[in-house]
Formats: sequence, C-alpha cells, structure tokens
Amino acid sequence: MSLKTIFEQNPNRRYIMFGGKGGLGKTTFSAATAYWLAKQGHKVLVFSVDPQASLTDIFQRDIFGKGPVEIMPNLFAQEIDADQRIKEYQEEIRQKIRNMYGVEQIPEEIENYIQAAAAEPAMEESAIFDEVVDIVVGGKYDYYIYDLVPLGHALYYLSMASVYDEWIDKITHLRQEMAEYGQVAAIMRRDKETEEDKILRELQDIKYRINTSSGILTDKKKTAFFFVIVPEEMIIIDTKKAAGLFAKFDVPISGYIVNRVIPPELARQNIPDYLRNRLEMQKGYLSEIDRTFGSEVLTRVLEFERDITGLKMIERMAESLFGGEA
Amino acid sequence: MIEEEKKPGFFDGLKSVLYGMAGHDMARFALKTRGSMEHLFILITMGDLLGIPILPPYYSLRLLPYVVPQISTWKRRMLREKDLTDALA
Repeated sequence: MSLKTIFEQNPNRRYIMFGGKGGLGKTTFSAATAYWLAKQGHKVLVFSVDPQASLTDIFQRDIFGKGPVEIMPNLFAQEIDADQRIKEYQEEIRQKIRNMYGVEQIPEEIENYIQAAAAEPAMEESAIFDEVVDIVVGGKYDYYIYDLVPLGHALYYLSMASVYDEWIDKITHLRQEMAEYGQVAAIMRRDKETEEDKILRELQDIKYRINTSSGILTDKKKTAFFFVIVPEEMIIIDTKKAAGLFAKFDVPISGYIVNRVIPPELARQNIPDYLRNRLEMQKGYLSEIDRTFGSEVLTRVLEFERDITGLKMIERMAESLFGGEA
Repeated sequence: MIEEEKKPGFFDGLKSVLYGMAGHDMARFALKTRGSMEHLFILITMGDLLGIPILPPYYSLRLLPYVVPQISTWKRRMLREKDLTDALA
C-alpha cells in the first residue's frame, strides 16, 4: 500500500505523526506531507513539538515562537517557543497569586519555588505538551502534522501522558475525599455552603488537557503514526524496539517509510568501491526491512543529491513520497 | 440534629447546645482530618519545596496560588510530625 492510498482511504485521520530516530528525516517528511496535503486543497498546520525544532530551517523562514505562520496558501507552520511559554506561564502564576492575596511582592519562598520549578528538565516538554492541547483543540485546520521529537523523547512524551494521568487521578481522589470531610464539618456546624473547591476544578481541567493530548496520540480513527527508518542495522534494531514500546502505549502505527535509499540503478554505472559497498550494504538491510516490517513498509525514498530545504526541494520530496509508484 | 428550622429563639439555643454536645467534636475531628489531608496534598503536589520532587512541576505550578497561605504551616508540620500517616489515623 502506498502512502497516498493510506491518506485516501482514511480521510478521518487528521493527526499525522512521523517518528523515528534523530536525523532520519522526520521534519522533511512532515514538511513534504504538509505540502502535499495543502496542494490537495486541505488546510494544514505542521508544528513541531521538539524544543530543538527545525521547521524554520526546512522552510527557510524564521517561524520560531511566532505562532502559526502561513508558508503558502493552506500551509501553516508553527514552532513552539517553550522558553517563552514557560516565562509567560510563570508570570501568570505570579499574577494569580498577586490577585488572590492582594500582595505586590511574591513571598520569597514562593518565588524561589516558581523559579526552581521552571528549571526542571521536564519543564520544556511539559510546556510544549500543554501548548499542543491549545493547538489541536482550536480545530482551525483540516490536518495537524506533528513534527515529533526523536524516539526516546517521544516515548517519554507518551509515558508522561500516562504518568500524569495516574497522578492526577490519585490527587483528584484525595481532593474529593477532603471535600467530603469539609462537608461533614460544614453540616455539623450548619454552615450554609461549603466553599467550592477551586483546586479540584483546576485538577479536573488539568486532567482534561492531558487526556485530550494523549487521547489524540492513541486514537486509531483520527491518528496516523509513521515510522521513518533508513537501511542501517542500528536503526532497524532500534525501530523494532520502539515499535514494540509504542504499541504498548496503543499508538496506531500506520506504516514505515524507508528514507535515504541510494538509487539502485547507480550499480550499473562505473562507481567507486566506496559507493558500491554502501549499495550492497543497503541492499541487505532493505531486504531485512521488508522481512521485518513486511507490507507495512509503505515506500522507499531515494537519497537526493542535495539536502531538503526550501519549498522547491520540499515539493520534490512530496512527489517522491506521494507521486510515484510505491 | 432534629430541630425545626423556622422557629428562632428557643430552638436556636437548643441547636447550639446540641451542637456543643454532639456535633462540635465531630466537626473538629472532620476539620482536623481535612487539615492533615490538606498537608498531604501539598506534599504530593509541592514536594519540591522540601526537596522531594514528587511529580510534574508544570502542573504543580498551576495549583501553587491556592496553597500559598498553607505553605509555611505545612513546612512546620512536616518537621514536627513523626509519621505522616499518624496524622491520618
């Protein structure tokens, strides 16, 4: 099955993700898919969840932290500025404290906590994770293309969702129990009403956001997840492992795309041994890929003579992804 | 707690007496339990403050404004309590 037929047969899959190890072409394929869909007349947003995003480089436009930027008609790209987001978020928290308690100065202890929390290693990922909810809930686009982080991080991203979810469940439960005790006391003392638990409401909202974000990642009807691989031993082994882990998290894997394949017809030309050896090596691994992933291998993309940056090259890449035979 | 709601005066007095006899202790106990749970809750969400990172600081921050007043009493209690679960018993 080709990539094109997958898109044609599953018009409800509106969340498209490319995963794989670093540097294999996730961003390239995200951009090319976005380009192709936009050309088909769909309104597309391609956005990066990677703190080290490279959409700016591939589109050759500075879009970092600028919200959705129109690259061409129907095609929008967005890179989340996690640092900026965290700063705004910290300020929001400070402002809330000022408003709630009518203080000018945030108590030192609290201020220290706010600053320390922002320095946590998971903070950037969490901030992006949270922003994604706003992006996809907005519903302004036909397609959302996630330019994902490298595999390890993506797994972290997924597991974060389930860990968050459990954590929130537990403390929501504790909070509810607390509310019961509060009510008992209120009834005993014949207070009119218990004060509404704002924390509980806040927790429920957090839970909603987490569930929305992780729900999309695991929704078989609406989401398509593609693995990007190259014909090399380590990549094949790692991808196999990752695919197993992703399956555990119920990520709907829609297929594999092999990138960086050296054009086989070169073998008929007079080429140096170096290149011939690489061709031989790839041949072996390509058949291993076919054995391992079978019919789930959607297409092989040939190595280009230059890197993929700018719309012209993205267009060529889109053609080789969707245009030709697979 | 079976008195009528409408008649003030005598019944109001009776209500207070009844509350003092039966309800007050229970209310106090409920509030005390709730207080302990409140501190347990802060520990879980704001553990980093004591150097115990428990979980996602991103969302902890969202809860921070609500617990600002409790934080200093909470820290004192954490140092005082021998075992947190004692407080819940």
